Amino acid sequence: MTILRGHFAILLVVAAPPQVDREALERVLVPVAEAFDLTVAIRPLSDEAAGTVVTDREQAPGPSSRAQESVEAREAWTIAVHGADRPGIVHAVTSALAEAQGNVVDLATHMVGEPDSAVYVMTLRVTLPAGKAAEAAARHVGEAASELGVRCTTHRDEADLL
Amino acid sequence: MTVRPVLVLPHQVLSTVAAPVGCVDDRARALAEDLFDTMRASPACVGLAAPQIGLSLRAFVVDVTGHRKARSCHGPFVLFDPVITAREESEIAREGCMSVPDLTGDVARAKYLTVTGTGVDGEQLALEVDAFEARAVQHELDHLDGLLFLDRVAGSHALFERKVYR
Repeated sequence: MTILRGHFAILLVVAAPPQVDREALERVLVPVAEAFDLTVAIRPLSDEAAGTVVTDREQAPGPSSRAQESVEAREAWTIAVHGADRPGIVHAVTSALAEAQGNVVDLATHMVGEPDSAVYVMTLRVTLPAGKAAEAAARHVGEAASELGVRCTTHRDEADLL
Repeated sequence: MTVRPVLVLPHQVLSTVAAPVGCVDDRARALAEDLFDTMRASPACVGLAAPQIGLSLRAFVVDVTGHRKARSCHGPFVLFDPVITAREESEIAREGCMSVPDLTGDVARAKYLTVTGTGVDGEQLALEVDAFEARAVQHELDHLDGLLFLDRVAGSHALFERKVYR
């Protein structure tokens, strides 16, 4: 959820019973949205698109589900990028991520500071191939950022708990 | 009394690993005085590290006296060449920084820790700190390693702008 130029915006991925289709959801949601002068758009996701990230730990011994079997082992990481604003920061970081088989799950940006010395801050939640490949991927992204003169740090999401 | 200008993002000194202070001499004590004076010039400031006033040296001051989130409180203190020797548990909480004036962020920090270092008279100190004081110590020590709270945010939506949404 966020506020875009004064407009409320929210994006939700929801699970519904098989008998609930898009028309059924629109019948209940559109009147509510209109009452608040909002627009609502609903579209179905395939099972694959709705699949969740599976970490190494989740794949440890135990019953495996179909969703787990269909997704390769990946790790969730957080990347912080900050530095003097200039064109190409998002392109450089996301290109490096793609080269390293990284996938952006979530991304937020902030522009701070004075207009003549604006600082661009970007935080990303990404998934990377598990294990040592993840560390190599994180290094690759950091190098791409440093070529632009911006700071880039990465940490595994699990590492948040000390 | 010398209140120094506080460097803000993206100043290079803030991303640089600071050098050891070594022997605590008159220059180191003058640095501590400047850090205290600069910290006290901003009422909400509970800690300041030498790189924030442009000196890439391993020194910081902390004072959480009277802060509502504080449990342990060692009053105002300076540590030169600090090292965290033990840490336990962690919690995520919001923090800000004089060097990142427009943002706050949710950061995971240890709840309890032991930090050692050299005091203002050259004495060796080992402080056990917890809660908000522990968070302040970790935040300041990060500055000595060229890290800001931005580098430790707990996820992509863990940063918040101080200004009101428009």
